[in-house]
Amino acid sequence: MKSSLDGMAPNWRQRLTLPRGMRDAINGVDFNRFRFWLQIFFFVLLVYGGFTGLNLGNNLPTFSCGYNQNGRPGVCYLLPLQHQLAMPTKALLGYASLTILSGLFIFFLWFIVLNKGWCGFVCPLGTVQDWITDLRVKMGARFTRYSQASFETLSWIKYVLLALMIVIPLGIGAGYFSHDLGAPYCMICPARLIIPTLALNFDQLVLDFSSPGKIVMTTLGAITTGLFLAGSFVKKRFWCFFCPMSAFHYLLSKPAFFRLIKDGDKCTRCGDCYTVCDLQIKEIADDVKNPQIMMDDCIVCLKCVAACPEQGALKATFAGRTVFESTEEGFIKRMEKGTRA
Amino acid sequence: MNGPFNSGKPVVPEPSPQSAGASPRARKPKEPLPFGKTKQAREAEKVLNHIVDDFDDNPKAMDYFYDLFRRVYCRGETIAPDGPLIGTTCIQAPEELIYAMGATPVRLCNGSYHYDQIGAEFMPSKSCSLVKATLGMLTSDDPVPRVGKLDLVVNPTTCDQKKKASAMMQDMGHAVFDLELPNVKESEASRVYWQRSVRSFAEEIRKVTGKKLTRKNLKAALARTQRAEKAFRVLDGFRKASPSIFLGKDAFLVVNAYFFDNLDNWCEAVERLNDELKIRYDNAVRAAQKKAPRIVFTGSPPIFPNLKLPLLIERAGGVVVSDETCSANRMLYDMTAVDEWLVNDMVDSLADKYLKPCTCPIFTKNDDRRRRLLELVKKFEADGIVYQAFAGCQVYEMEQRSVAKTLDENGIPMLYVETDYSPDDEGQLSTRIEAFLESIKTRKRMRQ
Ligand code: SF4
Ligand code: SF4
Ligand code: SF4
Repeated sequence: MKSSLDGMAPNWRQRLTLPRGMRDAINGVDFNRFRFWLQIFFFVLLVYGGFTGLNLGNNLPTFSCGYNQNGRPGVCYLLPLQHQLAMPTKALLGYASLTILSGLFIFFLWFIVLNKGWCGFVCPLGTVQDWITDLRVKMGARFTRYSQASFETLSWIKYVLLALMIVIPLGIGAGYFSHDLGAPYCMICPARLIIPTLALNFDQLVLDFSSPGKIVMTTLGAITTGLFLAGSFVKKRFWCFFCPMSAFHYLLSKPAFFRLIKDGDKCTRCGDCYTVCDLQIKEIADDVKNPQIMMDDCIVCLKCVAACPEQGALKATFAGRTVFESTEEGFIKRMEKGTRA
Repeated sequence: MNGPFNSGKPVVPEPSPQSAGASPRARKPKEPLPFGKTKQAREAEKVLNHIVDDFDDNPKAMDYFYDLFRRVYCRGETIAPDGPLIGTTCIQAPEELIYAMGATPVRLCNGSYHYDQIGAEFMPSKSCSLVKATLGMLTSDDPVPRVGKLDLVVNPTTCDQKKKASAMMQDMGHAVFDLELPNVKESEASRVYWQRSVRSFAEEIRKVTGKKLTRKNLKAALARTQRAEKAFRVLDGFRKASPSIFLGKDAFLVVNAYFFDNLDNWCEAVERLNDELKIRYDNAVRAAQKKAPRIVFTGSPPIFPNLKLPLLIERAGGVVVSDETCSANRMLYDMTAVDEWLVNDMVDSLADKYLKPCTCPIFTKNDDRRRRLLELVKKFEADGIVYQAFAGCQVYEMEQRSVAKTLDENGIPMLYVETDYSPDDEGQLSTRIEAFLESIKTRKRMRQ
């Protein structure tokens, strides 16, 4: 294949602003491989970083699971948030409101840097799901998809979980529910069982029989973890679809720096992006009106950008500057690698 | 002006030369003529001469294609297929599946006036020339391109005429597989339906070739078409150059060759052409005048030898810089993205590629077609659009209104031409095209 792409498209090349070589190198990158290694880096950081004494605080917008006491370099915000909300109502209306607000603010600051890129690149539970997917592919098994109707229904679950995660602690604080429900979302979060285990801490792998509430919650946790493992094997990013962190992120995403942008004029609606999207987001291909194309289920993994053959139809921007965009050359390079592998 | 097709020959169906004196319907040659003397060969020869001789300084690498057409269309040479030969009547039949299972696809859509006349007996008088010509070719004993015996014909259920042609091809003795294509392409239901159709198509090919679809052979097939798509995209990129370094008549010929040529030879030839165009680009060699109106061609597909309209445009001093037709751009532009390189995922991804970006007018909506035209005009810095509708091609005729409206709203001039394969409207068309190009030039001058 000797024909070189350098000869092509004299016109669009001239529009580029960054040094051409740099820009081409970024856009032509073997994206999946790059992401794979970046995910490993963050996985190691968030699951084992604590062993080095690193401490990033208690307000991380990703599943740096708090139950992984020694390994975590900081705590997933959902844990302290639920504890704070479970304070007596009186306290909540008084001094504790400041604690909550300042916590939320720090969480927000962390979050807006990467937007849902926290999910696509950083979250260890997301990464575990991707590894389970890799395992399935190695075994040659195919994945499943939801029908459009189920997709639309199931898509609500994460908001319901988010609401429960707020309402139940508030109810505990107000005395309606038992403290045994603890941080209710954490009790059912697969990360509580999986992340500490990966750091060789097996404390969470038991059912807690000390009270009826704890029996129920730890049993539910075991069930969701089982579902997580089985689900991720047949459905890409199975859990992310239901994750309340994802819902939380989406509600705060308006001012984020890191964005997924679409130029509908350049889109041929070929559906390539939709084909590779782990979250089955149809709008990524079909919506040609809305430049802010990050939908609520999106994890900003940027696989769609890497799989779009149209120059500049999809891109990731940081504070308005393009950091990675779809290019014809990059697309061809990546797909050639696929057919050759 | 005497155009390339206006040979002064009668245009009403005439007895074919093989059966001089007999009724026009009796086509069985008593004394077969040498191939070069047959009507279809002479028709091809004449057009080819115009394509080659009417323009100075054709790229050297185009010789491969000029030669190929001479060999196949004028001398009746056969391109030997690898394995069974599977005819397709539309770009929607995923050829990667055919290649993967060891067969060779050949696109049957035909552009010959000679076959159009023969095929007329199958269809009502006001029908599409392309469908008639395809039927005419399939019923001939000595068809061009000489594709040999077809082991299967795949007929995607697109427009009504093609749908009804299915049973006729069957009556002629061809094995026909109706590849079920949905009429709506936006819904998820249609996508799932189509993915299923494509899977049953794969099943059908397996019956013909006896080979199983595997991860390995499908990947290899994808790599082959990928190479073609890449070569096509590079070629397409050169057409953005202004002033133009490559003409549309050659671009159509190149993609028309893809219909029947050996895939690897085709890729090599296009890659050579690209290398030459790169040199031409670097040395600022021009293929047209600096101020030549830049035209995007849309509508019913020009298929050799019916390159009437593109040739008229370029002989009149315009350049076809891009097109939105299923005999060129739409055939090779879109590329398949695969996430997991397993058989199932590859097949589904292929299905998506053949359905989702398609701007064929048989679908209910044509938003994508209109958006694509606007984008092509922008990308190729075009000055206007020529819209060809074959008389009798209802879907293209019906879309004229909405396309015209969109273009009008965006200030893009359009010439709508209703025509067919017969050469007798050529004088009148040439006047209209000249006037259209002239008006574009005036517009450009006024703007400056
Ligand atoms: S949506 Fe997925 S990646 Fe994001 S926090 Fe939840 S589990 Fe992690
Ligand atoms: S891959 Fe690109 S061109 Fe294709 S539908 Fe997605 S955004 Fe549009
Ligand atoms: S839309 Fe794109 S970035 Fe979002 S989840 Fe899908 S592939 Fe990833």
